[in-house]
Amino acid sequence: MKTEKQIVTARVLSSGKQQKLFFACLLFLIVSFFILDVFLGSVSIKASEVLKAIFTNTDSNFETIILKFRLPKAITALIVGVALSLSGLQMQTVFRNPMAGPDVLGISSGASLGVAFVILGFSANISPDSLKGLGNWILVAASWAGAGAVMILIMFISSRVKDIMTILILGIMLSSGISAIVIIMQYFSNETMLKAYVIWTMGSLGNLTSSQLNVLLICVSVGVLMSLISSKMLNALLLGENYAGSIGLNVRFARVVIFACTSILAGSVTAFCGPIGFIGIAVPHIVRILFNTSDHRILLPGTILTGGAVMLASDIISQLPGSDNVLPLNAVTSLIGIPVVIWVILRNRKYSGLF
Amino acid sequence: MKMNLTEILSLDSLKIGYVSGRHENVLLPPLNASANKGELIAVIGRNGIGKSTLLRTLTGLQPSLGGEIFYSGKKIMDYSRMDLAQKVGYISTEIVKVSNMSVYDLVALGRFPHTNWKGKIDTKNHEVIMDAIEKTGMSALYKRFVSELSDGERQRAMIARILAQDTGIMVMDEPTAFLDIGSKYEILHLLHVLSHKSEKTIIFSTHDLNMAISQSDKIWLIINNKLMEGAPEDLMIEGAFDHLFDSSPVQFNSEHGTFSSRNEEKGRIYIEGDGIRRHWTEKAINRVGFSVSPVKKIPFIIVPFGNNSKWQLITSNLTLEFESIYELVSQLSKENIRPI
Repeated sequence: MKTEKQIVTARVLSSGKQQKLFFACLLFLIVSFFILDVFLGSVSIKASEVLKAIFTNTDSNFETIILKFRLPKAITALIVGVALSLSGLQMQTVFRNPMAGPDVLGISSGASLGVAFVILGFSANISPDSLKGLGNWILVAASWAGAGAVMILIMFISSRVKDIMTILILGIMLSSGISAIVIIMQYFSNETMLKAYVIWTMGSLGNLTSSQLNVLLICVSVGVLMSLISSKMLNALLLGENYAGSIGLNVRFARVVIFACTSILAGSVTAFCGPIGFIGIAVPHIVRILFNTSDHRILLPGTILTGGAVMLASDIISQLPGSDNVLPLNAVTSLIGIPVVIWVILRNRKYSGLF
Repeated sequence: MKMNLTEILSLDSLKIGYVSGRHENVLLPPLNASANKGELIAVIGRNGIGKSTLLRTLTGLQPSLGGEIFYSGKKIMDYSRMDLAQKVGYISTEIVKVSNMSVYDLVALGRFPHTNWKGKIDTKNHEVIMDAIEKTGMSALYKRFVSELSDGERQRAMIARILAQDTGIMVMDEPTAFLDIGSKYEILHLLHVLSHKSEKTIIFSTHDLNMAISQSDKIWLIINNKLMEGAPEDLMIEGAFDHLFDSSPVQFNSEHGTFSSRNEEKGRIYIEGDGIRRHWTEKAINRVGFSVSPVKKIPFIIVPFGNNSKWQLITSNLTLEFESIYELVSQLSKENIRPI
């Protein structure tokens, strides 16, 4: 009997080894994509020049491009990828819905409504350019409030409606309704504000000031910490709220923590980078397939690494290395994310309702 | 088997139901019942009478509308969610649908109230999990994904999870529903073994009355807005089950503990012969509405014996021979034979 148990333990450990290997690979990918993202761009700069710009003080044009533009952008890409993917994973688990993600259920729309209020509404007195310092925090807080409000609304709906498709359709309705409100606000706003808002909606990693980047970094760090602490709660919620309660989870408390965390992650990113689609919904599925598990103690770090890597890769592609053109980021993330989502839908036909 | 009569659960004038708005929708009048350590208890009653609500209220997932539930003499309200999860485990009729979740991971979730904030599975937890997997006969399947299991295997995995939770009481809502007949017996046998060998108190609802009667130590029978409790045999003697299906064309035979449809009686037939062929011939003629006559009168049936391998039906003017009971019964239901 004892030997049998030892074999069993050995088997469990061996799958742990494989997971460690995956983690190492992902870490390697992140580092290499990060370096590539700094080295490649629409202006071709030799590798030696890049290194010179980073490590010496030459005060050349290249240095400006590298330090003021490419490096912050790569850091932003990393943070955004991590935040969106994590919020997607948490939402999929809490709603037990494979199609949940910040952009699908209207969370990003909610955040954009908050942003629209700040850019189109309140900034009538402050010019959009003066959104610095405290202004950044106002923008982020408005975005959280918008995202959080939609989360609570969706939760309210999903406690009454169990059907995944119905909730998705209601999410789409919610997004459209919010867009309608934003359009009305746009109609009544002046030209400069409108331009600022429209540029924001296109989604960009490169328009952040250093103070905005700091705010984003702080918010996302808090969100990542909260999500790592909630891994046990997320595992229990996989079974649904009844079972989660029966094994000792305080479901209401868990919901508050996870919703706050998701709103902070998705809201902060949306506030500064605009609505970026399909990363949040696609990355968690890639991680599930990669690690072959439903255990959030593996999925959470896996999602952090994969999310960062995928976003850096999207940024590299959007710069079209070797050419002068730059693709809109949202187009790239959609083209990466949509095939994954379609694959999940097709696979789910077999085990309907699974995720 | 040692019987340890420790009362582990008692219901004192428990009122169950739902609150919708200000209106209280009480499903059943105040219930009184109890459960001892190591008992297998079947909850029986018609659909919609409130079995599931009762079980959900027992596990604390739904507030009661009055009365008290005592676990080991302590009120359910005085337990924290975490403490209660170490007293009572629950399996609902809801099917767990999670992809990429292995049986091991599912069972490991049962350790939720026993692990630290990270949910770390240490050697001791691992041993409890593997023990639960072994006891439920899932050792060969523990690396499989839950979504790949058959209904019966999945139910075993769910039982392993509740076993890993290490609670004195297990509450299960129709654990044998949706299972094929073989799996039903296997699961019920497993529950029987767990309650008697591992001293778990198992309270489960079921519609399989025959199985419940043959395996349970106690039955909570909810009938006519009343909860009656007792050994299945006691309830049988009191005739408690007779009213379970009053209005339907189903009859409960208190002597055998079996059901039969109320068929219109067409007449009586004498059967000559004995052994297994006689037994099943009797069953067959009962099915088509005849009863067995104690006196030999025409028409009568001769069951195959010795060299004769055919069923014979002797009527006043002729003798018919049949290859099988099927042929015999077809003839009987065609010709409306009346006793003479």
